[in-house]
Amino acid sequence: MKPAAVDYVRPADLAAACSLLAEAGDAAMPVSGGQSLIPMMSLRLTGFETLVDISRIAALKRTETDATHVVIGAATTHAAIEDGAIPDPSHGLMARIAGRIAYRAVRNLGTIGGSVALADPAADWPCCLLALGADILLAGPDGARTLPADGFFLGPYETARAPAEIITGFRIPRLAEGARWGTSKVARKSGAFSDSLAVAILLPDGGGRIALTGTSSHPRLLPAAGAALAARDSAALRATVKAELAALGEDADPYRARCHLATVTRAAEEAWSA
Amino acid sequence: MTAITLTLNGDRVREEVEPRDILADLLRDRLRLTGTHLGCEHGACGACTVTLDGLPVRSCIVLAVMCDGRTVETIEGTRADATMDVIRRHFHEQHALQCGFCTPGMLIAARDIIARHTRPDEATVRRELSGQVCRCTGYMGIVAAIRAAAAELHPAPGADLRTPDLSTS
Amino acid sequence: MSADADTQGWVGVRLLRKEDRRHLLGASTFTADVRVPGLLEVAFVRSQFAHGRLGAVAKPDGARVFSAEDFPHLKPIDGGPELPSFRAAPYHAFARDKVHFVGQIVAACLAPTRAQAEDLADQVGVEVDALPAVVDTVEALAPGAAILHDGFPDNAFIHATVTEGDIAAVAAAAPVALRRTFRMNRQATVSLEGRGVLAYWDHRLDELVVTLSTQGAHVMRIGLAMALGLPEHKLHLIAPDVGGGFGGKNRLMPEEVAVCALALKTGRPVRWIEDRREHLMASVHCREHHYDITLYATREGRLLGLKGEVHIDAGAYSLWPSGPFMEASMAARNLPGPYQMQALHVETHTVATSKAPMGPYRGVARPGACFAIERAVDELAHAIGMEPAEVRRINLVGPHQMPYRTIGGMQLDSGDYPQALERVREMVDLAALRRRQQAGEDDGRRIGVGFAVYTEQSGHGAAEWTKRKSRIVPGYESATARMLPDGTLLLLVGIQNHGQGLETSLAQIAAQELSLDPHAISVRYGDTALTPFGFGTFASRSIVFSGGAVARATRALADKARRIGAHLLQADVADTRLADGAVHGPNGKVSLAEIARAANVRQEFLPAGMPPLLDETATYEPEESGGFFSYGAHAAVVAVDPETGVTTTLDYAIAEDCGTMINPMIVDGQIIGGVAQGIGTALYEEIPYDADGQPLATTFGDYMVPCAPELPALRIHHLVTPAHGTEYGVKGMGEGGAIAPPAAIANAVSDALRDFGARIWETPLTPRRVSDAVAAACGDRSEDAV
Ligand SMILES: Cc1cc2nc3c(=O)[nH]c(=O)nc-3n(C[C@H](O)[C@H](O)[C@H](O)COP(=O)(O)OP(=O)(O)OC[C@H]3O[C@@H](n4cnc5c(N)ncnc54)[C@H](O)[C@@H]3O)c2cc1C
Ligand code: FES
Ligand code: FES
Repeated sequence: MKPAAVDYVRPADLAAACSLLAEAGDAAMPVSGGQSLIPMMSLRLTGFETLVDISRIAALKRTETDATHVVIGAATTHAAIEDGAIPDPSHGLMARIAGRIAYRAVRNLGTIGGSVALADPAADWPCCLLALGADILLAGPDGARTLPADGFFLGPYETARAPAEIITGFRIPRLAEGARWGTSKVARKSGAFSDSLAVAILLPDGGGRIALTGTSSHPRLLPAAGAALAARDSAALRATVKAELAALGEDADPYRARCHLATVTRAAEEAWSA
Repeated sequence: MTAITLTLNGDRVREEVEPRDILADLLRDRLRLTGTHLGCEHGACGACTVTLDGLPVRSCIVLAVMCDGRTVETIEGTRADATMDVIRRHFHEQHALQCGFCTPGMLIAARDIIARHTRPDEATVRRELSGQVCRCTGYMGIVAAIRAAAAELHPAPGADLRTPDLSTS
Repeated sequence: MSADADTQGWVGVRLLRKEDRRHLLGASTFTADVRVPGLLEVAFVRSQFAHGRLGAVAKPDGARVFSAEDFPHLKPIDGGPELPSFRAAPYHAFARDKVHFVGQIVAACLAPTRAQAEDLADQVGVEVDALPAVVDTVEALAPGAAILHDGFPDNAFIHATVTEGDIAAVAAAAPVALRRTFRMNRQATVSLEGRGVLAYWDHRLDELVVTLSTQGAHVMRIGLAMALGLPEHKLHLIAPDVGGGFGGKNRLMPEEVAVCALALKTGRPVRWIEDRREHLMASVHCREHHYDITLYATREGRLLGLKGEVHIDAGAYSLWPSGPFMEASMAARNLPGPYQMQALHVETHTVATSKAPMGPYRGVARPGACFAIERAVDELAHAIGMEPAEVRRINLVGPHQMPYRTIGGMQLDSGDYPQALERVREMVDLAALRRRQQAGEDDGRRIGVGFAVYTEQSGHGAAEWTKRKSRIVPGYESATARMLPDGTLLLLVGIQNHGQGLETSLAQIAAQELSLDPHAISVRYGDTALTPFGFGTFASRSIVFSGGAVARATRALADKARRIGAHLLQADVADTRLADGAVHGPNGKVSLAEIARAANVRQEFLPAGMPPLLDETATYEPEESGGFFSYGAHAAVVAVDPETGVTTTLDYAIAEDCGTMINPMIVDGQIIGGVAQGIGTALYEEIPYDADGQPLATTFGDYMVPCAPELPALRIHHLVTPAHGTEYGVKGMGEGGAIAPPAAIANAVSDALRDFGARIWETPLTPRRVSDAVAAACGDRSEDAV
């Protein structure tokens, strides 16, 4: 279980990294925390020729705050978020999510950017960022662009990111004062990828958002369920989740569908009781 | 081959590595620091835990080349660490090891848990040990040892310093 | 500690372990830590097909890639019982003609690093003409099933029947007959250190030195010598620190033969270190049992008899030495558990499938048998409206009935089984739990309690193994006690310590006999050139056998020391005694160090005619060779989420009796570790195969090993009934912890979900299985019911 031979470059800055990626095409692969990529290399599940080490690029580690948003760099580790070492737009939701990803030693290196770029359908950050209504900041050979998380995830391990683009960070709206959240995860054991993960956000203006992952494709926003969350209607919530899963074609595996029902219900209950 | 330098257990080390070389293999096979064990090689058991710039990481999913210029500490580097000696003593007293294969990784994780949580309760220790596999002990001795070591290292004001009674019967 | 020992001796003392220090310093030596100059690493090319005819192996580099054609003289390594009815399928280290499971070795690639060897392996082309996989244990025997091994009339290695009493009469008269099927799925043994082997020819010693992660170096040498065609004195096996075994390192495996053959062929040191994927795919697999049993009983809950059929999924080959056959006979004979009944009739089938070969794993067969009988007892209790613990109580063998021969032919020697059950019932407070269940939980989860009682045959000797038709009869152990000139002691033993604390327990026994401090004693093992022959550590045998041998050897040594001491004190031997490391006579004392000096280097002080040295070798086998039964009762309390199927263990109580405890701390450690593994079997660990015979759990991403958050703090109560007929009254106890948890947990889950009528019949009880069982029981209304 050892990686195949690769080349390695450590570009000095973002521009250099982008041009390296643009030149090499599929043959190059960025590495950030390496916590997903290196095990995949050891299992010989990867096919690129050059590793582009972006883990030390300062531009990926910045945090910025203003009255309405927090921008966090893609290279921010799960552990930094868990520990509250960076500004928190989410009233603690992100720390809670971070603290349940994998294990502490993995969280010390694994990054939020790597997680979103990989887009494992069971990963935690894509779902959380979707619920928070975050934007994804990208830099590529043709410059920078911003994409909303909603619409960014296209399928298992598939996103709207172009191969030569690097995720530089996330622009996350601050949760309003008085907003409440809840989250619930079902996994076969602690730290394992989830069978289902739901994040519920209850806004003080009467709005509600529910994001769900652990599906067969990618994380989903469930708008009707969000409305039921806002209406604090437990029975309606379950009915809408079932209907939305069916409409999305995400109910084929009855066990997963039951888990989704349970995690959404529990996330909502936590938000209600918070 | 790429030249890297590490501060390894306090010493400056210069090595030529292939980009694909895993940190654990560099430590074990070339630098002969075999106290770092490999139980899964894909980040899921914790046997290979070392610290990188002071933080526990899994050396089986870290490329040596990515550690260039950084500081690595393995279990061998903790032999003169007074905190680790306290933890070791409690591991010994609480029968927190059987075959010993998980032990180096457990100790490094344990020291980090105590540093972050000061006086963790049982549930905290168990949660924090998630992903550190011990196949032999069933974890009770390990949990007890970490709690006892934390109590000794971070005595609560006015606390009873005796080892808590952790006998099972 | 010493103060205790002065007055009471060393047996029974919670002595901290002598072996801890090196591990705590990261200074131990496991097989993968051993370095030899010029080492080549092996990467194996393994079959990707579950079943097929093997065609050409295309080698990118003939000098560094090896397959069966390069080793025409290697002998196959298949094992099994010495029974004509057992069908053998030759197991070659490198596949010849056919492949029979995914992961089987086809070729080996050599390179200076493992990564380079894997590069080479990626370039090897293997032609396989695929044949249908044989996957389902029971369907494998159905008419028309594809046949795995050429020449087998059906897919069984062996069919056998265990029968006792008149089952037809019992069946005809029984007021209640309850038929159930149960399945315990396939697992790996998952020692944290995988297997590993390093071999090189030592020219000075003119022998092949083989460093091997094994539970028994001496026995492995026999098998390796046969496979390689080398005389045994040319094979030197060393087992250094071994990072767990649990049965998985107690069979001769093809990698071990292949690495030795490669070292012999290339003249280079060669090693292979198993990676986790290889471990999960191609190391010893275990457990997979299927039961179809009918329990006969009265309406008052008295058990009358048991009839059934057991299928054991043995995988593709029969591993040397004993093969998978014992699994079937032990499952059948343990099915009645510790219960009284009049008749037993079990048909067993040991089935060949296209999966990795089965081997022993902590508890061997009994976790499956215990799961089946204990689940069935619970089902019976509910069918007749009784408290399950009560049904157990009225059927358990009582203390006044000991010794008692069960209908399965197990000679239970001593103990108070109902007492153990009563203790755990109290520990979990059954009545309070029943009230709590009535009240219901706030969070929608369901609480359940489950019991299981088990027996653990230990220390069984020659007669038992001969009855099992074993090729190797591990009916004794040996020990050499050697006192050095300064009075310190070397104990050389044939068993293998790999976590069991034997460096400590055996030193305690020697310390007890010689009144020495354990720190003056070194215990050495794991080297065929150093220790007398022994069989290794498995089958809960080491403390009975090796402890016995150490007691005898040190006793003989003490005897001689007293005679020398008496001579030096000019006293009559009868007037002397050994205490505090000295021989005491009426007029003074002489230390063991002085005696040892005389015996080793100053023979002029010895009695006339006495040969020098204090060096005694003894073997030990208890007189009763049917074994000594440890036993216990487990009670599990779980909370189950009926919707997601997630089960949490809230409480776990154990009352057990393993006779005298040499070191109670180590005994508790064995129990806790065993229960953790048993909970793994119950809830987490599984290697499923798809219809094409592809294994679906080949990393820890899919194979769930329980960690600290998954496990409860256990509570242990000891009953102590010293065994009659072993040294100090010990019984073996290394496996017991792993036997009962699948049964206790499954009974608890079933109890929790009783209102739904969910059918709990298969381990592991993954969230998916439990949730599906609830949904199936509720039909479409599943979530309404929640
Ligand atoms: C044992 C274990 C358990 C785990 N359990 C969980 C879990 O429960 N939930 C969970 O969500 N995750 C889990 N993970 C994954 C973990 O969270 C990873 O840290 C994360 O998925 C990837 O982050 P990384 O920085 O390590 O990325 P890397 O491994 O470096 O990269 C992952 C992928 O993203 C690409 N990439 C990385 N950064 C960027 C960027 N800035 N721009 C563009 N592409 C980029 C890489 O090219 C690569 O393809 C687990 C990992 C392990 C080892
Ligand atoms: S060996 Fe690194 S986590 Fe298992
Ligand atoms: S002591 Fe053996 S794995 Fe922990």
